[in-house]
Amino acid sequence: MLIALGLITLPHSQHLPLPLFLFFVVLWTWRFIAIWKPEWLPGKITVFLLMLAAIGLLYSQHQGVLGRAGGTSLFVVALGLKLLEIRGTRDIYLIVFLGFIVAATEFLYQQNIVMAIYIVLVCIFLLATLITINGLHAKISPTLKKAGIIVLQAMPIAAIIFVLFPRIEAPQFKWLDAEKNQVTGLSDTLEPGAISELGLSPELVFRVKFDGDIPPPDERYWRGPVFTYTDGKRWRESPNRFFKRYMDTPRFKGKAYHYKLLMEPQNKPWVFALEMPAHFEAPLQRNSFYQLITTKDPTQRAEYKITSYTHFNTGYLTKTELKDTLQLPGKPSERIVKLVKQLGGFDLKPEQFIANLFNYFRQENFFYTLMPKKMENKPIETFLFERRYGFCSHYATAFVYLMRVADIPARVIGGYQGGELNEAGNFLEVRQANAHAWAEVWLHDKGWSRFDPTTAIAPERVEQTLDIEQQIATRTLTIVTPEVLHQSMDWLKQAKQVLGSVDYSWQRWIINYNRTSQQGIFKHLGIKDLKTIIYWLLVLVGTVTLILARFILKNKAQPVDQAVKLYRQFCQKIPDVTLNPGEAPYRFAARCRQAHPKQAETIDRIIQLFVKIRYYPNSPKETLEQLKKQVDHFSCT
Amino acid sequence: MNETVLSLKQRFALSRFIHGEKPVKGALTLNQRRIFILPTRQGGGFIVLILLLLLIALTYNNNLIYLLAFMLASVFFITILHTYQSLAGLVIKPLQTQAAFAGEKAGFGFNIQNPSDQARFDIQLKLETETLLDIPPHHHEKVLLFKSANKRGVLQAGTLTVSSCYPLGLFRAWSPLRFKLEALVYPAPAAVFSAFPESEGFEGENGQSKKGGDDFYGLQQYQPGDPIRQIHWKSYAKGQGLFSKHYGGNAVADLWLDYAQTLGHDVEQRLSHLCRWLIEAEKAGLRYGLILPNQKIPCRSGPEHQRACLEALALF
Repeated sequence: MLIALGLITLPHSQHLPLPLFLFFVVLWTWRFIAIWKPEWLPGKITVFLLMLAAIGLLYSQHQGVLGRAGGTSLFVVALGLKLLEIRGTRDIYLIVFLGFIVAATEFLYQQNIVMAIYIVLVCIFLLATLITINGLHAKISPTLKKAGIIVLQAMPIAAIIFVLFPRIEAPQFKWLDAEKNQVTGLSDTLEPGAISELGLSPELVFRVKFDGDIPPPDERYWRGPVFTYTDGKRWRESPNRFFKRYMDTPRFKGKAYHYKLLMEPQNKPWVFALEMPAHFEAPLQRNSFYQLITTKDPTQRAEYKITSYTHFNTGYLTKTELKDTLQLPGKPSERIVKLVKQLGGFDLKPEQFIANLFNYFRQENFFYTLMPKKMENKPIETFLFERRYGFCSHYATAFVYLMRVADIPARVIGGYQGGELNEAGNFLEVRQANAHAWAEVWLHDKGWSRFDPTTAIAPERVEQTLDIEQQIATRTLTIVTPEVLHQSMDWLKQAKQVLGSVDYSWQRWIINYNRTSQQGIFKHLGIKDLKTIIYWLLVLVGTVTLILARFILKNKAQPVDQAVKLYRQFCQKIPDVTLNPGEAPYRFAARCRQAHPKQAETIDRIIQLFVKIRYYPNSPKETLEQLKKQVDHFSCT
Repeated sequence: MNETVLSLKQRFALSRFIHGEKPVKGALTLNQRRIFILPTRQGGGFIVLILLLLLIALTYNNNLIYLLAFMLASVFFITILHTYQSLAGLVIKPLQTQAAFAGEKAGFGFNIQNPSDQARFDIQLKLETETLLDIPPHHHEKVLLFKSANKRGVLQAGTLTVSSCYPLGLFRAWSPLRFKLEALVYPAPAAVFSAFPESEGFEGENGQSKKGGDDFYGLQQYQPGDPIRQIHWKSYAKGQGLFSKHYGGNAVADLWLDYAQTLGHDVEQRLSHLCRWLIEAEKAGLRYGLILPNQKIPCRSGPEHQRACLEALALF
């Protein structure tokens, strides 16, 4: 039991304040030693002092016991204290119950599958503890087995209740949720020159499950914040977020992609839809930059249904947009004006100028690296003419800057690009490492059009890093990776994908199961009100119980019993003599002998065998076989 | 078997849950009709635990805590079946009883058979005393339970409660059983030992009474039942074997214990005295007989005889 409790508290070490966790460890160790040295257990006064110490610790760490962290600590410390005074079975029950609560609080911090399985195993340990108290024997493995069986049998009913139990949107208790999770994500400003190393975290941002086809990799642009305003170093969103476009939808062309987007917890309300989202449902809203915003708490996982078209035409340009997207921080330097002139920015059509610029990036010595040097002073000029090492943000900002110098409306779009197809679950996984920035240019007959200057870099000038994780990441930035690497990674990738797929289903169906998804299921089942829910609950649980009951109780009927069955068969084989209810076999045999003196010997043999099996426990199996043989061969004629 | 059909009213009579059904003679198999299940106090605590978890799940909108709570709820639910299973199918058969003197405890023997493939754990049998048993598959256990015998006469076994909290202790399944099983209660032996009554030579030819006649008749091979006092220890010590001294048949006076001649204010007191005498006479290795107003037991000695006499007293 102690081990089980130790196991329960172990994962808490990650988020409990250290002094509290150490306090628990000390108490636990104390108790553990006391198994061999019971006289070391503390007396009442010591326990009281320890309790005071615990209260002091709790207060100093949390200023109260409400809320997630405080509550968890309270239960952990209570568990530790209770360990030191186990007197009767009641105390053990209390400890086991406290153990369950501590196990549950674990889920407040971590909700992945591994943790869930871990907790289930720990629960089996706890139940086994209860079995040990209630059985006289104290062997570990049979009790664990029994506890495992009980938990296994409990699963189907738990699943049914889980699906049908009405979910109430809980009021958000602010005082319970003082501290927010630290979530990384895209920032609302872009400052390429200030970054010397791009963090490529494999952390999942969102997953997308398409109803039909999946768009090709080069169309997988997930639109995020739009950076319009710049001071030369830093790029920000335009404050004019809701102008005329807010009400307007672009003209969509081509193929419609229907998909469900499962966002991991974020600290910004941005929902990264495939460019360009056409249809979506509340709580999603679209701002004038065609970015989707959720009105709900983004720190909760959420799933959205969206339809997007990769081909679209946004049409006209508003005055606000024109003003915003031509904005420059002061006059451009001569070098830049010269470059724009050289590439035909002032004379040629915008499309031609863009093509020239792309060529410039490709032919000049521009490198792609995840670890550029800082460019704090005039970052764009430094990048274009001196350093020429950078990542997507450098290229996108420089591109947009040059466009604006040539009087072409342009802006930087942040978001994610690509995403890895999980073949096991047939969905895309988009990670932090997929973060990307690209440019958008307004063209006369096309409206806002996407250009991704990063793709212009020559593949041989993409810097490879040694980190495998990063290599995967760079590949997803639409830059070709060597085929060899791909193959050697295959099995690893496959395993990863299966895991990812399981995790996706887990997130989608378990963690993210909420009122909305529940109502979807209810609609399917034709459930409208509480009464029908209860009806369904009763019927389903009843059915499962019946099946389980049959399974659990079947042992009762079985042994009653081959021998009796054979005996009855035998009795029916004898004409003229019927077995009286409650008649002893020997008496019956005597009557049979009288009626059929010829068979007396066989009758005696059969009766003796039967009595042997029936009344002497643990008679060997062969006896039963003998009896069967005798009865089968027996006949009175 | 010992099953009768119950009317609806009988089925829900409270006494059935506590005292059991009408007494039966033979073996009883525990089945759904006789097994009752209710949560224990720990079970109540478990419900509180589940509610607490649901509350946490609700406030934090945490599906996994919901799931844990539901799982524990189903464990709770499933335990009903398991607890039922820990009793179901057991066959309980009454065995012999052990008589006792009033004021002591009479013993009732039971045989519990587990005909199934599963071991049964922690089966509690309770009469007045209780005992805990584990019964391996296809085994049976014999238990002797005691009940205080306060009054001389016949003591009914009363309700034998078979119960189990296995596996989790959240539920207690119990089955109150009543068997037609009775133990005899002998009168309490009188505290004061009064001298044996003078035999009136009821059938004595010599008209004399002597305690343990001393006309030595000879040695005979020891037979079980011979009083210890009459063992010829000398020959035993010489290694010649165990012999008993036998005294002249006529010379050994028979001790007649007569109800009519016994002192005492009432029936019970007299019986008490008679009881004490019986015990002492048997201890002394005397031949004794009992005369009750309705019955006469001829003079003999030995445990069998003593039992017969005590029985007569018990049932008087």
